[in-house]
Amino acid sequence: MALTLTYTGQTAIPVEVEGLLPAALCDTSVKEIELFEIFHGNRKSPLGEFFRVSGSPDDGEVIFDGDLSGVHWIGAGMDSGTIRVVGDAGRHIGSQMTGGEIYVEGNAGDWVGGEMHGGFIHIKGSAGHLIGAAYRGSARGMTAGTILIDEDVGNEIGHSMRRGMLAVGGHCGDMVGFNMIAGNIFVFGNSGIRPGAAMRRGTIGLFGHDPPSLLPTFCRATTFDPLYLQIALRKLRLRGFSVDTEFLTRSYDLYHGDLIEGGRGEIIVRSRDC
Amino acid sequence: MLKISGGTIYDPANGIDGKVGDLWISEGRFIEAPTDRATRPTQTIDATGMVVMPGGIDMHCHIAGPKVNVARKMRPEEKRADTKIHRTATTHSGTMGSAPSTFATGYTYAGLGYTTAFDAAIPPLDARHVHEEFEDTPCLDKGFFVLVGNNHYAMQSIHDGEPDRLDAFLAWLLGAAKGYAPKLVNPGGVEVWKQQQGGNVSGLDTEVDHFSITPRQIIRGIAAAGNRLGLPHPVHIHCNNLGMPGNWETTLETMKALEGNRGHLTHIQFHSYGGGEGDENTFNSKVAPLADYVNGHDNLTIDVGQVMFGETTSMTGDGPLGYFLANVYGSKWFSGDTEMEAGCGIAPIKYRNKSLVHSLQWGIGLDWYLMVNDPWKVVMSTDHPNGASFRAYPKIVRMLMDRTFRNDMLKECHPAVRSRCHFPDIDREYSLGEIAIITRAGPARILGLTNKGHLGVGADADVTIYVPHENKETMFELPRYVIKQGEVVVEDTELRATPSGSTLHVEPEYDPERESDIAEWFEKFYSIRFRNYPVGNGYLEAPQKIDCRPNNRHSN
Repeated sequence: MALTLTYTGQTAIPVEVEGLLPAALCDTSVKEIELFEIFHGNRKSPLGEFFRVSGSPDDGEVIFDGDLSGVHWIGAGMDSGTIRVVGDAGRHIGSQMTGGEIYVEGNAGDWVGGEMHGGFIHIKGSAGHLIGAAYRGSARGMTAGTILIDEDVGNEIGHSMRRGMLAVGGHCGDMVGFNMIAGNIFVFGNSGIRPGAAMRRGTIGLFGHDPPSLLPTFCRATTFDPLYLQIALRKLRLRGFSVDTEFLTRSYDLYHGDLIEGGRGEIIVRSRDC
Repeated sequence: MLKISGGTIYDPANGIDGKVGDLWISEGRFIEAPTDRATRPTQTIDATGMVVMPGGIDMHCHIAGPKVNVARKMRPEEKRADTKIHRTATTHSGTMGSAPSTFATGYTYAGLGYTTAFDAAIPPLDARHVHEEFEDTPCLDKGFFVLVGNNHYAMQSIHDGEPDRLDAFLAWLLGAAKGYAPKLVNPGGVEVWKQQQGGNVSGLDTEVDHFSITPRQIIRGIAAAGNRLGLPHPVHIHCNNLGMPGNWETTLETMKALEGNRGHLTHIQFHSYGGGEGDENTFNSKVAPLADYVNGHDNLTIDVGQVMFGETTSMTGDGPLGYFLANVYGSKWFSGDTEMEAGCGIAPIKYRNKSLVHSLQWGIGLDWYLMVNDPWKVVMSTDHPNGASFRAYPKIVRMLMDRTFRNDMLKECHPAVRSRCHFPDIDREYSLGEIAIITRAGPARILGLTNKGHLGVGADADVTIYVPHENKETMFELPRYVIKQGEVVVEDTELRATPSGSTLHVEPEYDPERESDIAEWFEKFYSIRFRNYPVGNGYLEAPQKIDCRPNNRHSN
């Protein structure tokens, strides 16, 4: 039986639960967990003031129940185990995680999987800006792992991403894959302006019905039916991400860029011929 | 009244080298031991078995002002990964990294036993900001050096051959900024950088655009003026061609250009390279001829600017150098242009022990420590944060006191260091007394601070008490007690108090009639009004004016 933390907080001040991880909670009693120090604004408070604790952490699974849109850093730094959020989650969920799995039934805030180094995150709703991105000042965003968002996301997803997979079922905002170093970003809805700006390598798939105008520093290469894309999309399906069969069979236009950064990256959009 | 009893005292300025004794402190200063046996101190620190030294003095670091703030903002990733200073009843919260936040800087210096620090490169236009940051940098007495090596008025005065005008300007500028000493950074070179794309001077005799003078004339002129004004620290010089292979000749020429005037060459490690231009394979240590020259000339002192391996941030008033480093490392870069006065370059940098160049830089620093015969002429510095953070000081102490340790470090370095540096063949190990000289007594003397760097009667009661340990890094990284002007700041290795410290500055005398010419020039070219430029005493935390002795040449 998993450990369930039911959110009872009634506050507009941010609550931060950094360090509250499945591995750290193993072998701790409910009493100890209730005393675990979390931040309420800039003050430390015992977790019991904001959560009702039940179940056992022994099986490495932690369930957060309730509207946690004001609760941040859930699963940050996680290296193993499973976290399920039955409701919405706040910012920085799965930040810098190296392993384990996070599932969110509702929506999530900004910085989902920021500088993630491994593991798996699946958001069933929408998410904010800077998914899998580098924190300000850092040279690299996510370096490994998989982030799946079923609905829409904001701007600058995959900012300075180095490796890994980021898939979005809905629309995305501006500057997808800005300064991207490598990795894969697939967006199945429409995207905002300047996709792939300053990308060095990696692949951005923009599969929406209305492909955006690309920057003039991207040049069209060909129309093709990439086998590797079929394999990657089938793999996403296996992880519970919805991919329409149409995407497995259609042709795509390939663009190379960003030429001001060497032009080794690629953007794939629906073929104009189809 | 505070008594420190039974400690093993190292006070080289007073000829005391490991003698057990007591120290008495009252009203922030050392006093004679009371003759009346009935006199009892209000507090006694039992230092039996411990090492007692004056508080440490960092005479060349970058801890305040716009350049440091840019570095703080530029390196959030470094701060996220480093220790955080949490708010307590005694301390403000803060961040570390290579450019720690203001309060964190003061706490960390105090935690290492340092009680005085000088920021080495402040454009006088930004002096007010620096004084305000000093107010938030506790536990330290502080001062700063004022950038003048590329100042338009100074260069014009030198060009016009008017030493009296230069003297007056320098005196006015130091007094207006409430600074401590004139600083030359790549004299003339920064001005050329500001005038030409990618420009710089190549040596001491390259002409500076628009001013028709050379770096040699600037060095000679400012050094002479600083000595004529009797400044406690007449001139602090960052030579031209920093970091370039073959730059040792420029450094030697700079020493000669002082023409016997007292001068301090800073982070000299970065200026002691042999080799051909751009050819890494010929890069080597040229400390031997330079150290010979320093050993033979009493007007010269140096601080090392030791490189230590790891990540840091280069911040310098040497604009072209910042550009060079950012290109070498492909890193972030900031370049500043401070009107008529100075430039600035900032870029992250990582020193790797497997890199030939970085390993040699590390080794060349050691060459300097071990090849200058008189420890009173050499000062420990990392040019914080350029060579490394000041937090590396305990490790440097260990390298100097333990040759086995430094030889073990050498084994991990690029193999060419062994043949291209001198230190692998030098067995010299520093004693505790010599460490006390290069970290306290020496810098105090070089800075002309008669009340600091020693434990004699009347001196500021700045004391650090260490627990002896075989591993000198362990010993020096966690002093048991630190006392700042009689107040116990660190007790049992914990920070107990955070006094604000004084601001050390000079106000040399000058002919007030000269001011009208300065004002006329100022109003023509500056973005602010002349009357708004000088920093009032209200901006200074506990101002302490250090006397100048005009025309009275100091000796080391």
